[in-house]
Amino acid sequence: MLTIDMLESVFREVFDDENISLSRATTANDIDDWDSLTHMNLIIALELRFKIKFALGELQSLKNVGEMQDIINKKLFRN
Amino acid sequence: MLFNSYEFILLFLPITMIVYFALQRKRLTIVAKCWLLLASLFFYSWWDIKYLPLILCSILFNYAIGGALSEMERTGKRAVSRKNILIFALIANIGLLCWFKYMDFFILTANNVTGSHLPLLRIILPLGISFFTITQIAFLIDAYEGLVKERNLLNYALFVTFYPHLLAGPILHHKDMMPQFDRLKNKVLNWKNLYFGCMLFFFGLFKKVIIADTFTPWATAGFNSLEPLTLVPAWLTSLSYTFQLYFDFSGYSDMAVGIGWMFNISLPINFNSPLKASGMIDFWKRWHISLTNFITTYLYTPILRAFQKITFTTSLVAIFLSMLISGFWHGAGWTYIIWGGLHGVGLVVNHIWKKKKYRMPSFIAWFLTFNYVNVSFVFFRSKTVGGAMHLLAGMAGLNGVMLDKSLEKITFLRNAGLTFGPWLASIEGNDKTWIFSITALLVVVFCKNSAELVARVRPQFHWLMLLLCIAFWSLFEMNKVSEFLYFQF
Repeated sequence: MLTIDMLESVFREVFDDENISLSRATTANDIDDWDSLTHMNLIIALELRFKIKFALGELQSLKNVGEMQDIINKKLFRN
Repeated sequence: MLFNSYEFILLFLPITMIVYFALQRKRLTIVAKCWLLLASLFFYSWWDIKYLPLILCSILFNYAIGGALSEMERTGKRAVSRKNILIFALIANIGLLCWFKYMDFFILTANNVTGSHLPLLRIILPLGISFFTITQIAFLIDAYEGLVKERNLLNYALFVTFYPHLLAGPILHHKDMMPQFDRLKNKVLNWKNLYFGCMLFFFGLFKKVIIADTFTPWATAGFNSLEPLTLVPAWLTSLSYTFQLYFDFSGYSDMAVGIGWMFNISLPINFNSPLKASGMIDFWKRWHISLTNFITTYLYTPILRAFQKITFTTSLVAIFLSMLISGFWHGAGWTYIIWGGLHGVGLVVNHIWKKKKYRMPSFIAWFLTFNYVNVSFVFFRSKTVGGAMHLLAGMAGLNGVMLDKSLEKITFLRNAGLTFGPWLASIEGNDKTWIFSITALLVVVFCKNSAELVARVRPQFHWLMLLLCIAFWSLFEMNKVSEFLYFQF
């Protein structure tokens, strides 16, 4: 089961900010540096970390930490 | 049929809604959905029934391919590779769009390059083709990637043709739309949604009929002017078009979302006060939001992934290319490509600025963004690049400055070498032109947008009065036919 803490460590690495703290309600609007560009870096980092692959149609939903957690969990569980 | 026509507001919309909910009430869900589909196809055919077979074939073709892709993923049976099927289907969709939208542009370019004299085909662009093509391309890609769960033809056809969004968006995603037609609570007339939907619809109608259409004659006269425009009319021409486009397209989108709500179907909000943006990144988060989402997902990401390595530089290249393609999607002409390119450059500069963590006072950031966007729309509106340069020369003051005759008495203006005369005659304007432009500027910068206003609406007397006022005002002013700008794209 993927926890928010595990996501948090990826976020801190990608955005280079140790103060980021996430909740399921966090969205791209809450983190200043989270734009279309860094979103892709985040996606790639998540793909590498959890050895999964996101479909294009999932990318918009990933701008919300709650949905991100659900989608990744589903992929990890299926594998 | 236009949203801003009496036949739509007084007949088509109420009839489709009453019959739809009456059928739902009798638990004839499938019949109700068929009714909505037929109504949408009727709405589409109102202009020209000739293109009805085109949209039907497009829907059936894409549905069949999407179904095959999903089925092959499920069963694992593969006579032909799924990738080849996807590529074939993408080529078919893009080919269709090229044939109807870009053929003459390609022929013209070929003629210019090779000096040949191939005749133009002068094909008429079928309404909404740009929109229903990209909506379905997204569906195909999702089917290929295993994201399509629902395979109901009726829901699919309704998702593509649902008349509020069919002609000019918001660009929808099947995953958000298709399940909505089956949700139980959506099948019952919801008075609250109807009230909010009406409110948003009439806000949109007001924006279109009262605001956008007021600017239309000035923008049209300015852009068609053969005389060189002096400083003030040149600026008023470009500002008039920027306001016309914003109020026209966001008004249309409000109406679409409003109608959706009346049917208990939630469509995405397409505009969030874009002219308040203080940067190009911010602008695209607020302008035509559903297109930004589409571009980021289905254009920017694949381009970026095609690079071997994802770095800051490759991201910027991907952004620029995406905006260039988006410009070309808007229209077959160099002016649109330049418009896309300008926005690409704007975004690239903004990202570099952000990465370097430079700062700028927010007023200056807004001022630069607004003017950059305003200038980019000169290319968007002009028929030729030459025409755009012609207007920009006027805006730069290269054709001199003329002020109103009444200002001639002010000594320092007279000594500054300015000329005086019928200053706005070249754009068929009068004092209303500059007063309205300044007012519109203040409204777009300081006022709440329609979605924010609707969020504050309560079932109270004064809100109802406001609704009735704007509704009747718009209805009485709606005496001329005026199409939405985005229908040409």
